[in-house]
Amino acid sequence: MYVVRPVELADIDALEALAAVPMPGVHTLPKTREKILAMIEGSIASFAAQVDIASEESYLLVLENLADRSIAGTAAIFAAAGSNGTYFSFRNDVIQQVSRDLNISHSVHALTLCSELTGYSQLSSFYVGEREQGTAEAALLSRARLMFAVLAPHRFSDRFFVPLAGVTDPGGGSPFWDALGRKFFQMDFLDAERVIGGARNRTLIVELMPHYPVYVPLLPGDAQAAMGQIHPSGELAFNLLTAEGFEADDYIDIFDGGPILQAHKNSLRTFTGALQRRATVALDARDRGREPPVRYAISSGFEHNFRAVIADCAALEAQVTVGLPAEVLETLNIADGDTVICVRL
Amino acid sequence: MLVVRAIQADDLDALYVMATQVGSGMTTLKPDMKMMGDRLAIAVASFAETIAPEKRDYMFVMEDTDTGRLAGVCAIKGAVGLNEPFYNYRIGTLVHSSREIDVFTRMETLYLSNDLTGSTELCSLFLHPDYRTGNNGKLLSKSRFLFIAQFPHLFTEKLIAEMRGYQEESGRSPFYEGLGRHFFKMDFDHVDALTAVGKKSFIAELMPRQPLYVAYLPDDAQEVIGKVHTSTAPARRLLEQEGLYFEGYVDIFDAGPVLQARVSELRAMRDSVLAHVGTTVAPDAACAAVADPEPLLVSNTALHDFRMILSQTAPVNGAVALSAAEQDALRCADGDAVRTLSLNPRKNPHV
Repeated sequence: MYVVRPVELADIDALEALAAVPMPGVHTLPKTREKILAMIEGSIASFAAQVDIASEESYLLVLENLADRSIAGTAAIFAAAGSNGTYFSFRNDVIQQVSRDLNISHSVHALTLCSELTGYSQLSSFYVGEREQGTAEAALLSRARLMFAVLAPHRFSDRFFVPLAGVTDPGGGSPFWDALGRKFFQMDFLDAERVIGGARNRTLIVELMPHYPVYVPLLPGDAQAAMGQIHPSGELAFNLLTAEGFEADDYIDIFDGGPILQAHKNSLRTFTGALQRRATVALDARDRGREPPVRYAISSGFEHNFRAVIADCAALEAQVTVGLPAEVLETLNIADGDTVICVRL
Repeated sequence: MLVVRAIQADDLDALYVMATQVGSGMTTLKPDMKMMGDRLAIAVASFAETIAPEKRDYMFVMEDTDTGRLAGVCAIKGAVGLNEPFYNYRIGTLVHSSREIDVFTRMETLYLSNDLTGSTELCSLFLHPDYRTGNNGKLLSKSRFLFIAQFPHLFTEKLIAEMRGYQEESGRSPFYEGLGRHFFKMDFDHVDALTAVGKKSFIAELMPRQPLYVAYLPDDAQEVIGKVHTSTAPARRLLEQEGLYFEGYVDIFDAGPVLQARVSELRAMRDSVLAHVGTTVAPDAACAAVADPEPLLVSNTALHDFRMILSQTAPVNGAVALSAAEQDALRCADGDAVRTLSLNPRKNPHV
């Protein structure tokens, strides 16, 4: 069995090993032990904090394989993107060109540097190991972040977004960057990402990036083709998130042109489909109900003791309790009768 | 003899014949009887001073007095952009700099502007191929400066001339293909034709309103910004000799340069002189050295029947000797005032 739980200090070695997997252009975890430690400490402090309004908190969850106690994946959520500044992205605009006199009407696609995503809650650092790719556990890990937001809505914004890595060539170059950012930064894509530390909230973005719309038809073909395209490593996340209800068409990343998925929480399945139920110990799970069991992501109902697992049980819509095996209750660190959050996977 | 003169109502047919010989790229002289008739009427009214100065359009034709044939045409528009917006791109600079990571980037931009609204415009210069020899092109082009020098009160302080932009031999405009086509979705010739029938401002309204970074344009489009059509290069040199200069404004379609000048700084304003027609006293020994005098532009001083010729005479003590034929061409007689300007700038103005 796997459990998703907040990161702990003891996880640092495992995270360092995960971060060592080389993936140019993809920012999941910081590369140095020092920064990983800071991220873990930040997460622990955030979970412990009494939050009135979402600001600088960042929550890091890990997927743990209980069989061998290994860490199989990570997923993070920032309470408010761009805190300490502004989160910059390119907005896809369509400019309507109409001339009644000439009987011409067509639209031109333009990219406008914008800060609209500032203050949204940001999902990031999604990573699962080779073995767990495409499994229900990967879906659980991705979704657990939103289940935590269901449990503690005051810690987050009503809107969420997820930047996904854009396409890069084998040498780490980005066609989108070469056509756009390079002209302003005068450096290679990876150098620029290193200089800026993967951040999208730095003042130097305002200083260097174009203030005026970038007219897409003027960009070279390969740069246009890269817009909104995901790095192959992001496919799993993309599929999970679009199934969740995120939409991909409105914003792209200012550096590599990768898609930025975004959604209001009311259009996300985790929010609309979350059921609050009382957990009971099911003495014999096999006997329960005549209907085929449904696969649920189930998390504890306590903000300060957040954990999530997968469990199969009868459909819960018409029930007030959810019967779970004792070991599940134990893994969730809850007692018989405690509240849990359940979402169909 | 060639004489440049104010256009007259009965020149319409000859003008039409000439317009049929102008290719694309010259937007103000299209073979369209209705348009030309309208324009001619305005020109005639302009010389007659029956319309307001900013509405005037002074057209001049070059006539071969031996055959009565029209050899060329040119014009001065009193003011541009007062009826419909006059658009140009202004080449600007935006600096993107970050101290933090020590990057300093200077970006050229194109701003859609109406900055030149109200300027006097030199336009519609066309010389028939049969007459493209000797000093004919200079005579035709520079006639306008003598006119302005004679009647400066009719013009605004700023003078401009739009030059035809660079095109490849096939007629392809790299700038248009790199920019305009994306916004208009039509061929350059079509845009050109619409411009000619006075729809330039409609087209301009389809242009992006926000400044464009030049660096986004294809290299061949970037290279031709401010560059004239090969056939227009001599015309550009002539205007530059007269005091016009490129100051960063270009056409929105082909990126041809707009040359500008202050009327008061034109060579013609500084160097042209009034003289009277008369016999010049026999030159003394010192002047005898000038055996082969510089060609001299000579015009009469009448607005409604402005005429100008090129003569091989030189003004001496405020008098200029003109042959009977020259006097006839200028419709002037002994004792009448004429304005003169050396055709070419003096090599050493301090002598």
